[in-house]
Amino acid sequence: MRSWGARIAIYLLVLAVGGGVAYVNEPFWVQLLIGILISVILSLAWDILSRTGQVSLGSAAFFGIGAYATGLLAPETGTTLAWIGAVVICAVVAVLLGFLTLRLRKMYFAIATLGLTLSLQVCVLVFSDWTGGSGGMMPPLLMDGDPQWQLVAITGFVLLAVVLSDYFLSSRVRPALFMLRTNPGLAAASGVPVVRTRVLVFTVSGILAGIAGACYGGLYGYVVPTDVFTLNWSVLPLAIVILGGMDTTLGPLLGAFLLRALEEVARYYIGGVGYQVVYGAVIILFVLLMPGGIVGLIRGLRAEVAA
Amino acid sequence: MTVALNVANVTVAFGGLRALDAVSIAFEQGSITGLVGPNGSGKTTLVNTISGQYHPKSGRIRLGTEDISWLRPDQIVHRGLARTYQIPRVPPQLTVREVISVPLTFVAPRRASTLEAMDEGGIAHLCGLGKVIDRACGRLSVTDLRRLEIARALACHPRVLFLDEAMAGLSHEDSTAVIDLVRRIAAAGLTIVVIEHVMRIITELCETVVVLNSGQVLRAGTPREALSDPAVREAYLGKGFVL
Repeated sequence: MRSWGARIAIYLLVLAVGGGVAYVNEPFWVQLLIGILISVILSLAWDILSRTGQVSLGSAAFFGIGAYATGLLAPETGTTLAWIGAVVICAVVAVLLGFLTLRLRKMYFAIATLGLTLSLQVCVLVFSDWTGGSGGMMPPLLMDGDPQWQLVAITGFVLLAVVLSDYFLSSRVRPALFMLRTNPGLAAASGVPVVRTRVLVFTVSGILAGIAGACYGGLYGYVVPTDVFTLNWSVLPLAIVILGGMDTTLGPLLGAFLLRALEEVARYYIGGVGYQVVYGAVIILFVLLMPGGIVGLIRGLRAEVAA
Repeated sequence: MTVALNVANVTVAFGGLRALDAVSIAFEQGSITGLVGPNGSGKTTLVNTISGQYHPKSGRIRLGTEDISWLRPDQIVHRGLARTYQIPRVPPQLTVREVISVPLTFVAPRRASTLEAMDEGGIAHLCGLGKVIDRACGRLSVTDLRRLEIARALACHPRVLFLDEAMAGLSHEDSTAVIDLVRRIAAAGLTIVVIEHVMRIITELCETVVVLNSGQVLRAGTPREALSDPAVREAYLGKGFVL
């Protein structure tokens, strides 16, 4: 779809922002950017999945699995294997859930993935001997807890997510995914293995969301269930992708920065609890006025200039 | 005579309703066969069953020598049987080129590829879509959407091609163009099955006609023989109708 030039420009932009802030190493900006970049990974994971027509409310489930699995495995296996194990667990859960939800369309899929999130939160509380229950648990620290290097590592994961997202937007894959979303029967009649493709995309998305969760858990080496298995992490990627623009790589990137900026501005000028109401209202306005997100707006403007 | 596709004694039932009742048809290699019958006679059910959306309750479907009765739709496409849909929903943001690219990407070309120029441009040109190849599907005319559906099916590298009312609603000129296209494809050695309501198309195009009625084969033969059969006239037009 996009030229190699535009793709490489995005890679360089990610590297420049992540590397630049890590180089300057100003604690406030490092923390802020880490938070934004984790939501970028989660949003790209959500957008990749949505390209096959699966609207997920299960981001938080994989986010939480990522954080908890690294925490559960690390004492036995060490950090590196714990991360690999977390990725494998996310993949297995995604494959199982992918097959279970194959026949579900649109809202039903969203509800099934929402159910996974809520039931996992309960599971963590019930199996407290194992998970630490509401007291939380301690995933391995990412980069020994050094924020500067944490930012470098997370920038690397963002690049991975960006490259995967671009693969699923490539001229070989994108048309098949969109056909699968609009008309699965037509995709099958065009030789696309519907089940395998859906499960594969769901798995890639689940792994990315799990990595985002493992990063989050590794920031301070401490998580509680109400911190990761919450609707917040399921709704956040939705809001970001809608703001930034669906079916793009740039959309979730821009959307994550914009959403965070909106939040900070609202917090600064309104403060208290009221800021969340204003912040929510602004998101709704964006949805109504700019259904294509920022990327859609840019494309529209470019088309008008060209015409 | 080589049989490209053999439907043997196929029965498909939805609950108590027998949509297809012991249907047997042999489609000869390189032929153009018309499949006709009144509404509800089982034409579309037959295509859906052959292309793998339904599976027969009994009976066998063989593509060449291979039994495809229980394969999935995408597996059947890979074996060399493609079909068009009547009014398919295509992603509005994809271009003609991108839609044609999907089967080209996913279905490996057969060695005995029967058509030349089997890339996006070649197929689009063959189907009369050369001028709109980079247009988004959401902005295509109905005629071009029908052409695109034929192009998409051709891009599956089929040995056997089912055209399900591919010409319905087209103007006389447009359907003539599509008839020419179908002839050209058949000349390249494909086996083609045309499902149509418009008798002009059937009589112009087909060597053989199979008439379905109430899920059974009522008559098979040349268009002239089949359509002049009193039983066929009765099924279509009701008893006592005189032309």
